Amino acid sequence: MSDKLKEIINKQSDQQNPDVTNLDDIVQLVGFIIGDEEYAIPILAIQEIIKPFPWTRVPQVPAYVKGVFNMRGSVIPLIDLRLKFGLNEQKHNDETRFIVMKVGDEVAGFVIDRLTMALRIKKQNIGPAPDTVNTEDSLIDGVGKEEDRIITILKADKLLKRDF
Amino acid sequence: MDEFQEILQDFLVESFELVEQLDQDLIELESTPEDLELLNGIFRVAHTVKGASSFLNFDVLTHLTHHMENVLNKARHGELVITPDIMDVVLESIDLMKALLNTIRDTSSDAGIDVAACVIRLDKVSGGDGDVPKVESTSAPAEEASTEEISVEENAEEELDYDNMSDEDVEAEIQKLLAERQEEDKAKRAAKIAAGESVPDAPPSPDEVVKDTPAPPPVAKKAKPKNETPKAAPPVKKTATVEQTIRVDVKRLDHLMNLIGELVLAKNRLIKINDDVEERYEGEEFLEELNQVVSIVSLVTTDLQIAVMKTRMLPIGKVFNKFPRMIRDLTRELNKKIELEISGEDTELDKSIVEEIGDPLVHIIRNSCDHGIETPDIRVAAGKEEGGIISLKAYNEGNQIVIQIDDDGKGLDADILKDKAIEKGLISEKEADNMSDKEAFLLIMRPGFSTAAAVTNVSGRGVGMDVVKTNIEKVNGIVDIESELGKGTSLKLKIPLTLAIIQALLVGVQEETYAIPLASVLETVRISIDEVYTVEGKSVMRLREDVLSLVHISDIFEVERIMSSKEYAYVVVLGLGTQKIGLIVDTLVGQEEIVIKSLGDYLKGIEGVAGATIRGDGGVTLIVDVVALMDMAKNVKVSAINSASNAEAVSTEKTKASDYIVMIVDDSKTDRTIMTKALKPLGITLVEAGDGQEALSLLKQGDHNFDAMLIDIEMPRMDGYTLAIEIKKYSRYKNLPLIAVTSRTGKSDRMRGVESGMIEYITKPYSPDYLSSVVQRNVNFKSEFLS
Repeated sequence: MSDKLKEIINKQSDQQNPDVTNLDDIVQLVGFIIGDEEYAIPILAIQEIIKPFPWTRVPQVPAYVKGVFNMRGSVIPLIDLRLKFGLNEQKHNDETRFIVMKVGDEVAGFVIDRLTMALRIKKQNIGPAPDTVNTEDSLIDGVGKEEDRIITILKADKLLKRDF
Repeated sequence: MDEFQEILQDFLVESFELVEQLDQDLIELESTPEDLELLNGIFRVAHTVKGASSFLNFDVLTHLTHHMENVLNKARHGELVITPDIMDVVLESIDLMKALLNTIRDTSSDAGIDVAACVIRLDKVSGGDGDVPKVESTSAPAEEASTEEISVEENAEEELDYDNMSDEDVEAEIQKLLAERQEEDKAKRAAKIAAGESVPDAPPSPDEVVKDTPAPPPVAKKAKPKNETPKAAPPVKKTATVEQTIRVDVKRLDHLMNLIGELVLAKNRLIKINDDVEERYEGEEFLEELNQVVSIVSLVTTDLQIAVMKTRMLPIGKVFNKFPRMIRDLTRELNKKIELEISGEDTELDKSIVEEIGDPLVHIIRNSCDHGIETPDIRVAAGKEEGGIISLKAYNEGNQIVIQIDDDGKGLDADILKDKAIEKGLISEKEADNMSDKEAFLLIMRPGFSTAAAVTNVSGRGVGMDVVKTNIEKVNGIVDIESELGKGTSLKLKIPLTLAIIQALLVGVQEETYAIPLASVLETVRISIDEVYTVEGKSVMRLREDVLSLVHISDIFEVERIMSSKEYAYVVVLGLGTQKIGLIVDTLVGQEEIVIKSLGDYLKGIEGVAGATIRGDGGVTLIVDVVALMDMAKNVKVSAINSASNAEAVSTEKTKASDYIVMIVDDSKTDRTIMTKALKPLGITLVEAGDGQEALSLLKQGDHNFDAMLIDIEMPRMDGYTLAIEIKKYSRYKNLPLIAVTSRTGKSDRMRGVESGMIEYITKPYSPDYLSSVVQRNVNFKSEFLS
């Protein structure tokens, strides 16, 4: 195959996938609101997002662990992120959702106030977490800047880790 | 190579089975050394293993088994009497054989285990001079084996170097040997027939033998079968009992079990839906059909579940089999005379449980031998038989398997046990005084407890018995000890049949439901509140002759008391070994088959919760961990059954008319509008609900503090009476005025209204003013708000 032919083929494939070059630099996230702030979780850590569902209380756990619920035959813990982040409990309403996250074998549902949107943020627009919270145990992975908003990106694996 | 692997697998499976059998037979042989049948059987095993291993080039194994075979061969020809010393050597060689088989299984080669010492001993026993060439796993010792063997067979003249023979020569040699052997056989058979014995079919013709046996290498193997044919011939007895089996990967069975679990859940759900449908469409024709289908599905599911459970069942004999050998070794080691009696080895248990109980049983039996059975002189002095008896029994008892280990040894001394426990700091003296003998016996299961004055090789390191307890509890089993000083000890292990699906008693407390494994439930009792007494800060009740300590389930599981306690409560009596406790619950929901699900890593290790299950309605119910609950109950002070917090005053100061909130419950939009219109002039806040359930969930949400409720009686889903009864269950709504607004005017309707807790009864039609005045009176409406 001549070099020229290769060049043409390369050119064609480049044209077909114009985004290919910078896909690696983009992080896909799902944004949601808890209290007054917007947070985001990498889309790959999310198994599904469901409407609120009845759950069963479990004794001897911190208040933010609401209990367990049945998702198609699996018993899954339910964690209220409002309570986890030190906010007051709020009644579930039409916008409340459970985000079911999965990292490795760990699965848990998280209660959020409402969803915002799926986000694509360029890596260069994501800054590190503020120094004051930037420790190993921090739930915060970084801070994304998108136009006029600032979005806190959370670590899914840390959220799924039992800390009591 | 694949073919080789396949053969290897078959070889291993067969060998392990044979070796297991071997152990048993040898023990039996020791007591009846003349039993020729037995000897032949044992010899065959050694021989088969040897033959196969030489074919597969496991030279070390071949070398070892060959020498075993020699000894056994001599024994069965009456040239050697099996003495305990000889048996020791033989057993040792069998151990080595097992080790070799294990190595082969793990590494596909038999290198790494030195059998030389044992072989020399075997050789000495069989009359040799102990000068046996050492075999390396890599070398090919076939010729050694054959020469040796033949010398034993007194066919010394056939000491030929087979390796150097051409194929034809070997073939010829085999033919010659076979012919010779057949001659002998014929002679023997003739002798036998003369003696009136039935003789199995003639041995296969030489040609067949040559074809059937693996082609080239081990001539030794071929030389042998001829030797055994007369007596061993095709094992007729065995073919009769051969079971048709398929080996299945356990993972597949586990998967199947999981699927069945899902099916059981679906079945439960179907039954629930069927009940609901039945209620709603009472009398409809299709109901019967639906009923039939549901009952068939549930029947088949149950059968299927049992069938799959059975595929996972193994006879407990698998575990029991190793004990005769163990007892034998122990008796020699400890210089005691102990006999083991086994019964019920056919009893079947789930495979995973069979695997779990092996170790505990070893510990228990070692203990019985070491601490239980006395030495012969002490036994004689105590007026007992010289030899002790340990009996190992397994039997079904309801949903459980009981494994009972009895010994007729010296028994447990409760006082010594207590002293020891105090000395070791396991219990306080006060605790010791309060202990019954049975509780004292259970002390031996505590970690760090050992009564043996001297630590022996056998037991007494103080680890054994608590391992027993933890292992048995791991499979949801319980340990029970009975003992009589001087007479013996009896240990009972009660183990559930299977792990994944259990029968459970569902109990309700407030609005929650919990599942209690039925195996731990002894009985349930309905009590009235004043039957509960308080002793030293603990609740107790009398149960027939006993005093039963009580604990309220809501104290264990931190249940919020939103509903007021009733006059009556139910006590679920839980039993675990000798411990008993009464668990107070609000309601008994029923008995159900539940599938145990784990709570996952995030929530694991919650005290008192053994897992969760999914119910017919799709909800999750937690399963009570009875063992942990018993422990937790000790730390719970005064069960607060009487001290349910009474309705907190919800009447906050009203500053304007709209602070008054009234709920209107009616299924008819028109009626609701009429009531709204009638009450509007008052300026109070009105909340509407379309039926009883909606009203109840509005109440539960607690968004409003209602001052009164107007309730229609005829409503779908939940009628007015039921709603009133439900509302009155909540202590905070005890004093909420409920006003019935209905067209039902009968006296009995009014009575029902009063019974269910309604305080006013307005009949339709009514004048708006009348309604307004009734509401005003009931909410204590301040007149200044009237405009």
